[in-house]
Amino acid sequence: MEIAAAEPLPSLALSRCRHCGDPCRAGAVTSSDGDFCCRGCEAVFALLQRAGLGAFYACDINPGTSQKETSRRDAGRFAALDDPAVADRLIAFNDGSIARVTFPVPAIHCSSCVWLLEQLWRFDPGILRTEVDLLRRAVHVDFQPATTSLRAIAEQLAAVGYEPALSPEDSRDPVPASRRTLYLRIGVAGFAFGNIMLFSIPRYANGAPLDPAFQHLFDALNIALAVPVLLFSAAPYFRTAWEALSGRSMAIEVPVALGLAVLFVRSLFDIATGHSEGFLDSFAGLVFFLLLGRLFQHKVFDRIAFDRTYRSFLPLSVRVERAATIELVPLEQLKPGDCIEIRPGEVVPADSQLIAASGHVDYAFVTGEQAPVAVQQGEVVRAGGRATTDVLRLRVLREVSHSYLASLWNNPIFTKAKSRWLTDVAARFGAWFTVGAIGIAAAGAMAWWPNATASASVATAVLIIACPCALTLSAPLTLGTAMGLLGRKGLYLKHPAVALDLSRIDLIAFDKTGTLTAGSERRVLEASGLSANAWALVRELALHSTHPVSRAIAAYIEPGSRNEAAGVTDLHEAPGHGISGVVDGVAVAIGTEAFVSGAGTAHYSDRFDRTYVRAGLEYGSVRLSSSIRPRVDFAARTLARSHDVCLLSGDHDHERSRWSEIFGSRMRFRQTPHDKLTFISEARRAGHHVLMVGDGLNDSGALAAADVGIAVSDETACIVPACDAVIAGDRVPELPAFLRYSRRARTVVFVCFLVSVLYNTGGLTLALRGQLTPLASAILMPVSSLTIVGLSWGAMQWSARRILPS
Amino acid sequence: MNVIILLIAAGGTVASGFLAAFVWAVRSGQFDDTCTPAVRVLLDTRVPDPAPRTPDPDSTQ
Repeated sequence: MEIAAAEPLPSLALSRCRHCGDPCRAGAVTSSDGDFCCRGCEAVFALLQRAGLGAFYACDINPGTSQKETSRRDAGRFAALDDPAVADRLIAFNDGSIARVTFPVPAIHCSSCVWLLEQLWRFDPGILRTEVDLLRRAVHVDFQPATTSLRAIAEQLAAVGYEPALSPEDSRDPVPASRRTLYLRIGVAGFAFGNIMLFSIPRYANGAPLDPAFQHLFDALNIALAVPVLLFSAAPYFRTAWEALSGRSMAIEVPVALGLAVLFVRSLFDIATGHSEGFLDSFAGLVFFLLLGRLFQHKVFDRIAFDRTYRSFLPLSVRVERAATIELVPLEQLKPGDCIEIRPGEVVPADSQLIAASGHVDYAFVTGEQAPVAVQQGEVVRAGGRATTDVLRLRVLREVSHSYLASLWNNPIFTKAKSRWLTDVAARFGAWFTVGAIGIAAAGAMAWWPNATASASVATAVLIIACPCALTLSAPLTLGTAMGLLGRKGLYLKHPAVALDLSRIDLIAFDKTGTLTAGSERRVLEASGLSANAWALVRELALHSTHPVSRAIAAYIEPGSRNEAAGVTDLHEAPGHGISGVVDGVAVAIGTEAFVSGAGTAHYSDRFDRTYVRAGLEYGSVRLSSSIRPRVDFAARTLARSHDVCLLSGDHDHERSRWSEIFGSRMRFRQTPHDKLTFISEARRAGHHVLMVGDGLNDSGALAAADVGIAVSDETACIVPACDAVIAGDRVPELPAFLRYSRRARTVVFVCFLVSVLYNTGGLTLALRGQLTPLASAILMPVSSLTIVGLSWGAMQWSARRILPS
Repeated sequence: MNVIILLIAAGGTVASGFLAAFVWAVRSGQFDDTCTPAVRVLLDTRVPDPAPRTPDPDSTQ
């Protein structure tokens, strides 16, 4: 802890942005209203003040979202919404006078957001009503299509600082219809459970048989109530079990379905023979609790809303050259023969032929292979390829297949072909459990054999009590809770089982740029050497690159009066060296000294804090701030004590000395994405459980290859499908706590397993001795389920308070 | 003992009424978002600084 205390405190001299609360650094704006971190934030603040909505800032402290990124975006980015085909896909309902649309807005996070967005009608008379869904981060807008347009609404949302994330998927209904069905199933099961309980209590309380007339009435009512539970509420369990069995695999639903079926049939049999009133109350109660567990899991998934954010990667519209101009055309209207332009980082939407002389494409989204492939004029680029360094000009060969593009994201490579430890365990356990239960049931039946009635009742009683409902609940509940709590702290798991995979990690590989160093946090301290006009040209070039240094430069230089649409030609990015291009007829370059001077020698400057620029014949340089994330070195040192840690960097090794204290000799520099992937695969083959922490865009191959791949993201929009989890950039230093928490989750799962096995053993003893009365089962089953629910949820909450950072 | 039959019938009717109400509520989307209403109830509907519908400030840009 001494180390943590010794770190420099954040400078108090920096004022906080009045809109978003970010520190005001280079590029900050001071106006009569106060200090703002960027022009975008100031614009939003002024807009809200003018509209009399200043109360936005009273609800919460600095509730806004930083506009630094937004202000750099293309002003015409919503142009595609003017197209009826696109609009039609988004609009859920339209009767000519009123239409309803739902926009996913990732920036929604607090009550101020709800308040502001529900006042949106003040800005546009065409907007009738807005309704925010805080959990799913979406805005439903009712508007008059005659008065306003979809594009105007989207631009209005962006103007108040809530950029809608447009996805090419059908976004009409953000709430899956299955959710309503789940509520109905729970309602029916709960209704039946309560009422069956009422009709069963007289028998429990009395002990003696009731008046036969009443008993028959109660039995008939119980059966009438239990049938909908069997046919409607419990249907998903039977369906999953059937699918698993017909696919000759095993799922934990198989023993559950078997238990439920036996419970129901045995009850019918008991009632028909007048032996007892059956187990229908346990049956309905079980289904009710199982479904509640399922609902809980869904709630956790909602909070993460991971799916929607990573889908927004796909291009919604493309730049097409038509009649010598370039226009934005929605994907649906792209026809074979069209000439399209794909900028670096964008995805090729349809199979196309390269018109430009050459270019580089990576198929990371298609195959997981990250290394860029060189393509020559005339070659075919497949849909899903991503332009890496140059602007590609392509001729479209085939129609766009939406289903193909969407299927890329659900590709098994990204949902992992690797064996999932938990599903393995659950499946193997389920198989073992079912076989064991059937074996014990058979043995029990044999022991009671001469008495046919007793042996049948013992056998079914064993199968009933062996129903591993508590087991089924424990893992999803514990891991689901862990996933939800981790998400609240900035680590978003793609699947609850990732928490278990995390607990088994023994080797951690870090990427450097964007992971240990904060890509987007780099800022320019001073710039020297060029005239103002030349800096404007440099800014223009920097805007065309997503490299952290380019972004820092672009953010530092004030936008001049130049017409920005002038564009950059001959854009070329040399990874690890720099970027060059021609702006307004002037050759401009940003990068290492050798790259910029055109010397081409492999001489690397020691000055890693300096980047060189050239515009025409003018040379200059910029000095960049130290880029290491605060406290990250401390975290790495902590991890190094308990795990093997290593550093895989794409950069050259001028920073070797800086990191050797932590990583020792386990550092590899100048790694291509392919080298990283190979390293990870080899470590796994050697028996390691590897965690790769890397920047999602450049390391997607390595992230996919590791047991767990965590993508570091400073803006949640940049998420690669290949990772298992996403961590917010400023949360990287909390990694040791997150790992400790995941190990705790594993312990809790095992404790829950143990407890439920104890319950089952107790129940089995009763069943084998022929003493499992309906009363015993009515008490034992809900109590065991409730114990597991309470134990797993409580333990995870308590551990979160102890382990996770506040 | 007929009174018990009557009670069961009455109880069953009331309970079915609630089940029907629940089904209607789910179908009409009242369970789609169980999170935001809890926040919304705390917000003032009236804007403290009364501004009549202002002309779209964006139209000048």
